[in-house]
Amino acid sequence: MKKYWQSLEDYQRIKTNQEYVEKPEPEFSIEGMSEEEKKGKATRRDFLKMLGFTVGGAVIAASCETPVRKAIPFLNQPEEITPGVANYYASTFYDGNDYCSILVKTREGRPIKIEGNDLSTISKGGTSARVQASILNLYDNARFKTPQKDNQEIDWGTLDSEVSSQLKFISEQGKEIVLLTGTIISPSTRKLIEDFKLIYPGTKWITYDAISYHAIRLAHQKQFGAAIIPSYDFSKAKLVVGFNADFLGTWLSPVEFTKQYSAARKLLNGETSMLRHIQYETTMTITGGMADNRTPIKASDEKVTLLNLYNEIAGLLGQTQFTISKPVVEVHKLAVELLENKGESMVLCGSNDEESQLIVNAINYLLGNYGKTIDLVHNVQLKQGNDIEVAALIERMNTGNVGVIIHYNTNPVYNYPNSQKYVDGLTKVDLKISFAESPDETSTVCDYVAPDHNYLESWNDAEPKLGFYSMMQPSIRNIFETRQAQDSLLKWIGSDQSYQDYLEKYWEADLFAKQSKFGTFKAFWNQSVHDGVFISEEKLNSNFAYQEAELKITEPDKDNAKYELFLYEKAGIGSGNFANNPWLQELPDPINMSTWDNYLCVSTLLAEEFGFKTEDVALINGNFEMPVLVQPGLEKNSVAIAVGYGRTTAGKVGDHLGTNIYPYMTITNGLKKLSGSLVSIEKVDGKTYPLALTQSHHTMEGRSLVRETTLEKYLKDPASGNERHAEDAKKNTTLYSKPEFTGFHWGMAINQNSCIGCGNCVISCQAENNVAVIGKQEVRNRRIMHWIRIDRYYSEEAENPEVYHQPVMCQHCDNAPCENVCPVAATPHSSEGLNQMAYNRCIGTRYCMNNCPYRVRRFNWFEYANNKDFDYNMNNDVGKLVLNPDVVVRSRGVVEKCSLCVQRIQEKKLLAKRENRQLMDGEIKTACQASCPADAITFGNLLDPNSAISKINEDPRNYHLLEEVHTLPSVSYMTKIRNKKS
Amino acid sequence: MCTYHKIKMKLIKHFVFLTTLLLFTTMTITKIQAQEGKDLFTVCAACHTIGGGKLIGPDLKGVNDRQDEAWLIKFIQNSQALVQAGDEIAVKLFAENNNIPMPPNNLTDDQVRTLLKYIEEFDATKVVASTVQEKPAETVSENIIEPSYLRKADARKYGTTFIIVLILIMLALADLFVTRFIKAKFVHLIVILIAIFIMGEIIVIEAQGIGRQQYYEPEQPIAFSHKIHAGQNKIDCLYCHSTATKSMHAGIPSTQLCMNCHTVVKSGKITGTEEIAKIYKSLETQTPIEWIKVHNVPDHVFFSHAQHVEVGKISCNECHGPVETMDRMMQVSDLSMGWCIDCHRTREVQFTNNFYKDYKKLHEEINSGKRSRVTVDLVGGEDCQKCHY
Repeated sequence: MKKYWQSLEDYQRIKTNQEYVEKPEPEFSIEGMSEEEKKGKATRRDFLKMLGFTVGGAVIAASCETPVRKAIPFLNQPEEITPGVANYYASTFYDGNDYCSILVKTREGRPIKIEGNDLSTISKGGTSARVQASILNLYDNARFKTPQKDNQEIDWGTLDSEVSSQLKFISEQGKEIVLLTGTIISPSTRKLIEDFKLIYPGTKWITYDAISYHAIRLAHQKQFGAAIIPSYDFSKAKLVVGFNADFLGTWLSPVEFTKQYSAARKLLNGETSMLRHIQYETTMTITGGMADNRTPIKASDEKVTLLNLYNEIAGLLGQTQFTISKPVVEVHKLAVELLENKGESMVLCGSNDEESQLIVNAINYLLGNYGKTIDLVHNVQLKQGNDIEVAALIERMNTGNVGVIIHYNTNPVYNYPNSQKYVDGLTKVDLKISFAESPDETSTVCDYVAPDHNYLESWNDAEPKLGFYSMMQPSIRNIFETRQAQDSLLKWIGSDQSYQDYLEKYWEADLFAKQSKFGTFKAFWNQSVHDGVFISEEKLNSNFAYQEAELKITEPDKDNAKYELFLYEKAGIGSGNFANNPWLQELPDPINMSTWDNYLCVSTLLAEEFGFKTEDVALINGNFEMPVLVQPGLEKNSVAIAVGYGRTTAGKVGDHLGTNIYPYMTITNGLKKLSGSLVSIEKVDGKTYPLALTQSHHTMEGRSLVRETTLEKYLKDPASGNERHAEDAKKNTTLYSKPEFTGFHWGMAINQNSCIGCGNCVISCQAENNVAVIGKQEVRNRRIMHWIRIDRYYSEEAENPEVYHQPVMCQHCDNAPCENVCPVAATPHSSEGLNQMAYNRCIGTRYCMNNCPYRVRRFNWFEYANNKDFDYNMNNDVGKLVLNPDVVVRSRGVVEKCSLCVQRIQEKKLLAKRENRQLMDGEIKTACQASCPADAITFGNLLDPNSAISKINEDPRNYHLLEEVHTLPSVSYMTKIRNKKS
Repeated sequence: MCTYHKIKMKLIKHFVFLTTLLLFTTMTITKIQAQEGKDLFTVCAACHTIGGGKLIGPDLKGVNDRQDEAWLIKFIQNSQALVQAGDEIAVKLFAENNNIPMPPNNLTDDQVRTLLKYIEEFDATKVVASTVQEKPAETVSENIIEPSYLRKADARKYGTTFIIVLILIMLALADLFVTRFIKAKFVHLIVILIAIFIMGEIIVIEAQGIGRQQYYEPEQPIAFSHKIHAGQNKIDCLYCHSTATKSMHAGIPSTQLCMNCHTVVKSGKITGTEEIAKIYKSLETQTPIEWIKVHNVPDHVFFSHAQHVEVGKISCNECHGPVETMDRMMQVSDLSMGWCIDCHRTREVQFTNNFYKDYKKLHEEINSGKRSRVTVDLVGGEDCQKCHY
């Protein structure tokens, strides 16, 4: 039987056929703790003292008067607000990197949750972990509360008059004014910048991306005559080949791609075909983990492999081939397979390297993918950063030619590879302005900060793809004394108009004509604001003729004594602009389950060579030290480090976590690349660094919980891989009577074929259920509070393992082991099949936790709210605004766990009762399910034979975790199927 | 939608009558409509009378003759829209009534027609007669209810007993070791044991009461009297606490809502202009009125008014007591969990609501005559997570 492993210790054990030995868990005893951790633990005498004090305190507290509570009504109640009932507003998430159409849930006028917008044809109701967590940025206490001059507070009037006069003065001097912005996808803002240029004619607008995609645009410029990034459609593809393109996690438009990708791989309702995916990549990403076949390659071998692939395809088609060195990996079979799927395939490359991108385009052209799976017409407007212009700007800054620089949504001081040169250049600029929302490395060296609104406080529009428009509307009035960047620009060009009016005027003048559905602008505008999205009917330019470009390869530097450094973005932290977000910092990385840090990933072979274990420390380039994490699946002579860490002025949460690795980006031919650095590595003997990994938490004692098969076997026998399900069903018996349900029996199913492990559900659940952030040390103590975790299992060889993601939350067993052992009946079973948790009844014996075979129960070791030791979002008044008023904030000493979003169940049931109708199937959506970009989760009534969940439960792929112990879970899983070809 | 179903359900109830007593068919329907019209008019009654003279708004007697129906429907649904649109009659009416806007009413066209029909058929004499009949009954009920319901004085106070018992223990101990007045030592033991037992009992009772606020009657920032508003003026509870049917909160009315009436009613019966002036001050200074919340449940309790008022059809008085007799608002029920559960165990569910169709087994039992009624506990009313999450 196939063996699965979670940690390298497990792997070694399997290899050497040892028995599973459970390690003592510090969660339950202090035996497993280090001396450092034992410090501050109470002795018996301390305990008695505390007991006496507590009893005394309780007596005094009990004799006190109950506090007076007030009920403060509105002065004038707005018609649309009903206290206690949520309102949803369509809006747009855009942070300079990712786009997502969203619905903002507001309660009593404050946004508390982000949901996906079903009306969007791009994100289709899905979100990412970053989108979910973005709501916490709104309530970040580190945000600028007033405008700043030289890091001192000033008022808007002073700022406006000083900035306007200086702008005018410098402009008249004939010096250059530079607007350095992140990619702007808002057509109105783009027009506003043109207006700004009219008033200040010396203005240059330069776009800067932290992670650049410039090469794709350059390659398309050469081959198709337009500097565009095409849009990719996975739903039309049968075969996808990725080269270092983490398109499910971080590359270009992950939510959109995940929706399409998972829809093509569901195998539900009798589907017999699924998208095949082959990945070539350096480090292990979630995209690589999902691939049916994955091959680790060096980043420097990427181009050779690609050109060889081109040659093979060209050879098979009888076209000219280019002479190159022989391939590192065999690509003939791949070429044949790609040709079998002509016009239904896609080759993607994530490297910002013009040569690579030219080859990829040529391959896709040969395969006839343009116009089919790859769309040049509705091209992507994201990622417009121009590396060459940025480099030229820095030169000009250093020669003193630049008079003004205005930063909008950029932080080059932190994330430009040669940031020192940028800082030096800045000192020669007369006027430096930043629109930063919260302090960052760039804003602190600026003269003026005109703080921007959070996106949830702003009016804006977006055009993520040509012809696809999206509306951003404020769902709360600005919390602090901030002003939208666009309003500041309007002010500085001497306009009295507000940006809201400007936006509306722009839509009236420009976009209204691009549709025929609405006769009046007001109707069109209202509908667009309501829907959040609008697709133009305008005929777009579709005239893209292919021109041959020379395909060549510049051999990258090689040094056998050194190792190739590969930089990557983590699914949670990304490029680092959300570093001050505690939810994202504590989100375990989907692949290596780490939190709160970046580290040097080394391959298992390299670890063996150096004698590295995870948490050892390595000296890189003789220059700086970093902790080591042994990453299975990493190319053996490469090392990888995540960007986005090592912030110095992000705020109290994000500062000084990990190391800033942006300086190790390389610039070749003017383009910023994530790969290309060669580094030397030494082991620092005797030194270790604690990493907060959730990896070996929650081990399921060596029992295999993932069931999988291949497409071939599945088509022969749909129950293949899941044979145990029938066997266990026969054997099971119990002393207890079978529970009976009268009206509803809630159940959930998770399609493991769809789940990519991105972590969206974890953050969505955290936002919905007020789950506490506990910090690195407590995560190390195995006390992470997430109600839903995503277990990651590996199988096969450690050099290139197969990866499985399995979301695990409370299984709501109908024969629940936790319920029987509770001495105070705090966790009984409900009449609707829910395993309930009554916090106010719980006395914290944790018997239930010990007895739960799924390890899904969480104990509140501390009071996490109002506790200065846990100074995250629940320790200040602003941060608390994000709390969901329908879910209680748990206190110290009680156990908590997934409730299947009982508040959402109750809400929809009440709605149905009020409307005098039956509940509809699919009407209730749990938080994890609602915004899942992979649609991996189904929820519904198991008693209704026609519900989606009942149908899945009858599918031959359906099984329960630990069926053999007969807990009768209400949550079920579906066998994972890989479309493998040997 | 809802009222449509209400009528429909009632029609079904009357099906037997309809078949046997065809003659009375029309009468029955009119009766239903009249009842609905009466219900609808409770909101209007805050400002209007039918034949009783001008209140805040004009007397509605004969309103159907004065204006045509289409105009009335529009005006009743949203009078301000018409005023702003410059409708001549609307603007004139608005001016005639001191520019007090009539709040928009969320009614369907049919509902407005029912309402108008009710106004047209309203027989003032009958109602006068009935109120005359009701009046003595009301005063009687007031007299009866107040002492029996508001047993504030009956709330036992154990403080003195506790201290007396404590002193007894002290005396017994003192005698046992120091004075040795009573020679038989078992007497001390008995006294101490009994005293400890009484003290224990008192502690248990008092401990149960911690956090509960039965008979809580705080002084409010404005001496608002429910007796005058709900009792004498018969303003429907839902006129001010309008969200009780759609939200977990019943809602405290905004200052603007008070102004619907108090732009005209400037002086009260008891406090004169003093208290009402506070409303104007709130508006002037743009500071909302900070009422003291009387009915509090702990944070870990989720209570929904909509579930109980709209779905469960429980009248406000059942939990809040005779509010219409209270000058100052007082908590009548103890709002303890036992109190909730007792009701859930005995109270019948509105099982005709289509939502409950999913409870097939219970429906079968009712149809087969095995079960006569469905109480809340049968549909999960005793589940922890009905209220705690």
